[in-house]
Amino acid sequence: MSMQIGDSPADAVFRDQARSFLSQHASPRSEVVANWHDDLGGHVEACKKWQHILYDNGWAGISWPEQFGGRGGTSLQASIFAEEQSKFDVATGSFAVSLGMVGPTLMAHGTPQQHAEFLSPMLRGDHVWCQLFSEPNAGSDLANIGTRAVLDGDTWVVNGQKVWTSFGQFSDYGILLARTEPESPKHKGITYFILDMKSVGVEVRPLVQITGVAHFNEVFLSDVRIPAVNVLGGVNNGWAVANTTLTSERAFIGGGGSSWTVEALVATAQKLGRTQDPIVRQKLAAAYARAQTIVYLGYRLRTASSLGLMPGPEMFIMKLAYARHWEQTMDTAMEVLGADAMLWGDNVIDSGEWQHHLLSQFAIRLGGGTNEIQQNIIGERGLGLPREPSVDRNLPWRELVKG
Amino acid sequence: MNFDLSDEQQVLGGLAQQIFGDLSTIERITELQTRDGFDATLWSELAKAGLLGLCVAEEHGGLAMHMVELSLVLEQQGRYIAQVPLWSSSIAAMTVAEFASQELQNQVLPGVCAGTTILSTALANFGANDSMNPSVEAIDVIETKEGGIRLIGSKPAVPYAQHAHYVVVSAKRANGSIVLALVDTDARGVTITPVEGSDRQPQANMEIDVVVPTSHVISGLTSDGREALRWMHEHSLVALCAIQLGVAQGSIAITAEHVKTRHQFGKPLSAQQAVAVRAADAYITTEAMRVTTLNAAWQLAEGFDARQDVLVAMYWATEGGHSVVLAGQHLHGGVGADISYPVHRFFLWGIQISTQLGGASQHLARLGKLIASK
Repeated sequence: MSMQIGDSPADAVFRDQARSFLSQHASPRSEVVANWHDDLGGHVEACKKWQHILYDNGWAGISWPEQFGGRGGTSLQASIFAEEQSKFDVATGSFAVSLGMVGPTLMAHGTPQQHAEFLSPMLRGDHVWCQLFSEPNAGSDLANIGTRAVLDGDTWVVNGQKVWTSFGQFSDYGILLARTEPESPKHKGITYFILDMKSVGVEVRPLVQITGVAHFNEVFLSDVRIPAVNVLGGVNNGWAVANTTLTSERAFIGGGGSSWTVEALVATAQKLGRTQDPIVRQKLAAAYARAQTIVYLGYRLRTASSLGLMPGPEMFIMKLAYARHWEQTMDTAMEVLGADAMLWGDNVIDSGEWQHHLLSQFAIRLGGGTNEIQQNIIGERGLGLPREPSVDRNLPWRELVKG
Repeated sequence: MNFDLSDEQQVLGGLAQQIFGDLSTIERITELQTRDGFDATLWSELAKAGLLGLCVAEEHGGLAMHMVELSLVLEQQGRYIAQVPLWSSSIAAMTVAEFASQELQNQVLPGVCAGTTILSTALANFGANDSMNPSVEAIDVIETKEGGIRLIGSKPAVPYAQHAHYVVVSAKRANGSIVLALVDTDARGVTITPVEGSDRQPQANMEIDVVVPTSHVISGLTSDGREALRWMHEHSLVALCAIQLGVAQGSIAITAEHVKTRHQFGKPLSAQQAVAVRAADAYITTEAMRVTTLNAAWQLAEGFDARQDVLVAMYWATEGGHSVVLAGQHLHGGVGADISYPVHRFFLWGIQISTQLGGASQHLARLGKLIASK
């Protein structure tokens, strides 16, 4: 098959169909997205409403198999749809965990009963899901989690604390990693659970962040009971299952779904009369060059996935490149805004979106494996550098020094 | 959407890798340094494999391929720091094929494919080094029956000019219009002065005061040849991006090997995170160079407006390429300072390409004008 950057005739037909559906049900987005950070609950409701529309019209889960209620399309079609959808003023953020991470994990590791119970409502947008992985003492070293689950008859009893839980306060379900066998080495004794967030003993405390929004939460688990049927992928097999989720998360974060574009920043710079300045122009050009690289890396990933190949190091590179692009471009944005950059809130230029994105960069840089973790992985997989000698891989978790 | 190489393209890349890998060994390159640096043996092997006429029509003995395929071959040349005038001769031949008369093509291209005629391009200029603003002056000759165009001026650092039979020279009339002409290096009025370049490959300054016959004017005889110059310039930039991609890969490969095998404090250097992270960053940059180069080459091959694509690729090749070869040199420590060890060759060629047809800031400035001027 010869190289074809951009749509094949069949892709173009699909794109037209997507665009036509979208323009019937949504309005085109203006240059800068409407800001939703003051009303996160309203945002969640808007996400649910839009997901229902997608589901009712056969546009939900484009690459999900038909047996799970999806459209049965290709991953390439899913990307084309996402690309078109991003040009419209619709809300999708609160389903990033469920559709982007939990869905693929459930499909790969779930039982038929779990598929039947969870996938349809997920796709319809009835349920918001959250991820209960990180803990105060298990961040980059995720396998070091200390939340314990102990079997009591046919129920697991869970105690511990989770943190950085996006949309936790609005979630119906969570995916939870807990330690079920402390005598095993740290990667081996972990189990992956599906947790009903309405269970007794689940306490969600929102964390107000630098952006002023409480997107993240702390989640305290005290004697929370989880039916044994809600184990996903087998007891003590949680690390393998979690890797499916993390792979999907990296692909999602790196895959854009971006709430801003270089074009929008150029438009703002023009509006402010800043593009006469050659230095500003050069910085905008560098941002454009970085954005293009991310587009092409995405094309490589799409090509690999449409050929049924496992993506190469591009996925890690993309996540890192995207995080750096975000950081550097927001610095440029502050220069473009000039004195306005000192202001905050809805009444400043572009409704304060650039300031908001500046402060949001940390979620991108740290979430889904920090920049430095990605660099380590790239060194190992891209260059074959030896793994860092690790002293704790084979010791029982119980014996490890805890942070 | 298919942003990957076809089977044929992968085979071609493999063939190029084999030829360059087998012949352009470190021993061979070291030996060439005792002479002027041109690897004539490799050149004739490339001719036998058809790689000198890769993008030339079959009627002239070429393989009728396009910019993506040329990029794959140039990448392997960079990977093995092979010392042949492949990019300059190929782009000159493509320019002749695209814009020159059938007679001139018939006269020049078969020899290019056979490896007996070497071409070069004189795109760089003294001063601001703006390829689109040539420093050679063009004057239409009207006093003789034969006519022609008189070219007066000088061109710096023309790749392999001392080995070339013809050089595509860009020049500018007083009214600003552009002329592209094929200048015979043996012609009276052409002086070739070899200069030592930072990449240690043959190059020469050209002093030109010569009347080019109308038959050898490639573009701009009766009109403005600016579009032809832009075409040649964009293809040249992508050719350099492709070489730089190979140079960066070569630098990283030898560097990864070094940091894995060199031990300090009782463990490999790569076990130090600061070392591993710097190597990983070089790898990331190289992948950015790969995707942007491949995209630009494809856009050119398809005949699309690729002005922005070329500048994006060139930004990565200059700014990014420079950082990669610098990391490679640095991570070798004192070993890299010894010229009997090959890593410095990647560094030297890398920094040469980073400035050859303009540096990163020049490309960014152009790109900035394209995307943001209003």
